[in-house]
Amino acid sequence: MQLKRMAIGATLANATCGLLGALPAAPVAAQEVSDWEIDTSLLYYAEDNDRVRDASLMTSARRVFDEDRFFDLSLTVDSLTGATPSGAVPSSQAQTFTSPSGKDSYVIEPGATPLDGSFLDTRIALSGNWNQSLGDSMRWSAGLSASHEYDYLHIGVNGRIERDFNKRNTTVYLGAAYGQDDISPVGGTPIGLAPMLEVDNQSSKLRDDSKSVVDLLVGATQVLTRRSVIEVAYSYGLSDGYLNDPYKFLSVVDRGTGLPVAGPVGSGLNLYLYESRPDSRTKQSLFAEWRYALDRDSLALNYRIMNDDWDVTSQTIDARYHWNFTPNSYLEPHIRYYTQSAADFYRTVLFDDEALPAFASADYRLADLDAYTAGLKYGRRTAHGEFSVRLEYYHQAGDPSPDASVGDLANHDLLPPMSAVIAQFGYKFRF
Amino acid sequence: MMSARAFSILLAALAIASLSGCASMGVEPWERDLHAREDMQPNQRDAAIDDHIYFSKEASSGGRGFAGGGCGCN
Repeated sequence: MQLKRMAIGATLANATCGLLGALPAAPVAAQEVSDWEIDTSLLYYAEDNDRVRDASLMTSARRVFDEDRFFDLSLTVDSLTGATPSGAVPSSQAQTFTSPSGKDSYVIEPGATPLDGSFLDTRIALSGNWNQSLGDSMRWSAGLSASHEYDYLHIGVNGRIERDFNKRNTTVYLGAAYGQDDISPVGGTPIGLAPMLEVDNQSSKLRDDSKSVVDLLVGATQVLTRRSVIEVAYSYGLSDGYLNDPYKFLSVVDRGTGLPVAGPVGSGLNLYLYESRPDSRTKQSLFAEWRYALDRDSLALNYRIMNDDWDVTSQTIDARYHWNFTPNSYLEPHIRYYTQSAADFYRTVLFDDEALPAFASADYRLADLDAYTAGLKYGRRTAHGEFSVRLEYYHQAGDPSPDASVGDLANHDLLPPMSAVIAQFGYKFRF
Repeated sequence: MMSARAFSILLAALAIASLSGCASMGVEPWERDLHAREDMQPNQRDAAIDDHIYFSKEASSGGRGFAGGGCGCN
């Protein structure tokens, strides 16, 4: 007769700490442990107005060796198409831009938001994590990650250790990650605040560049009552190196008319300067989540506040209600609200009569912006796994720099709102 | 907006408040039936997908874990 292995210890540990971050949570109460757990999702993400679309396939496999050891392997393939705002502002005149490759140009019609439609990308990400117990009350994990895009390569390592206290009602964890990224943009890496030049003139660009990212994480999970548990985590991140978005630039406009000024002699272009960000960024964030079990359903609320030395402060509130409307089916409504302040060097435009600042970016993601998400997930459990479908709607709206709406610019929406739909199909099973 | 110093003070206050009360909280092992339910565990997959989307669309990332790699340029 085959012996059934029980994982009571692991389950108690999960109930206590939830194993957030690098250590994924294991399933439900005492039961037979499967050797393999497979989790696969298909994601479709689409923004309005023909902006970014992403189809993504994620598969992860967990090989459980015994109640003390398991290995996680995950593979993600993303296929991106569409267009994204370049940072330039709309104008009542047609605008010509040189594409990132420097081999051709494109024209944006009067009044239209300048989008860079030339990108088409496939991203492949692979990660592996070994997880093991260390005595009765400690666990550790270590992992490697890598991702590749045609213009980007990331390689990272991470580690984590956690310990239970107080009859496993308190779990404290500590994690660290290091990443090294190589950036090789199409057409080269633009020099910060150098002008866009005509086709076949790449003298505003250099060769490849790189950055490193260190993340530290410390957190604790505390069981409060039979029904509730709270988790608090603090994270600190330091990025160092090339932090610009190589495909983003700013318009330089006349302060009186709000129209783009002429670019370098002989280029035939208006003046557009490639963005320039500081070469380091320090971020810290505080995250808290409260989960509460009702007799049949459950509720999770979380909050995050983030602050960095670019002067961005953001707050996020997220709430989910898990409604187990039958023993094997559930619905999960979800809402999220996000707000951030602008980076101190965010500028919707530059003016031709001002001295060039040290740093400037018109990337809408560094603007003062608010966003919300509303979604619903349906799941159905089967004998060996679960099917799920999730639909979400995301909307974000930002504010341009207060001084940007001069002359012609007052006639245009400088930072048009963006909406996206997210559809996700999931299937996970054990054997 | 909030300065780094104010953020650090808020953080320290929360850490002290949350840790000092821990020793007297919690449940006995036989009272863990609700905590063991699958819907009381965080959903790692959905969180990872959301993190990757918001990492590419907003200025913040991570919080409960590590941000994934990638350009996030689009």
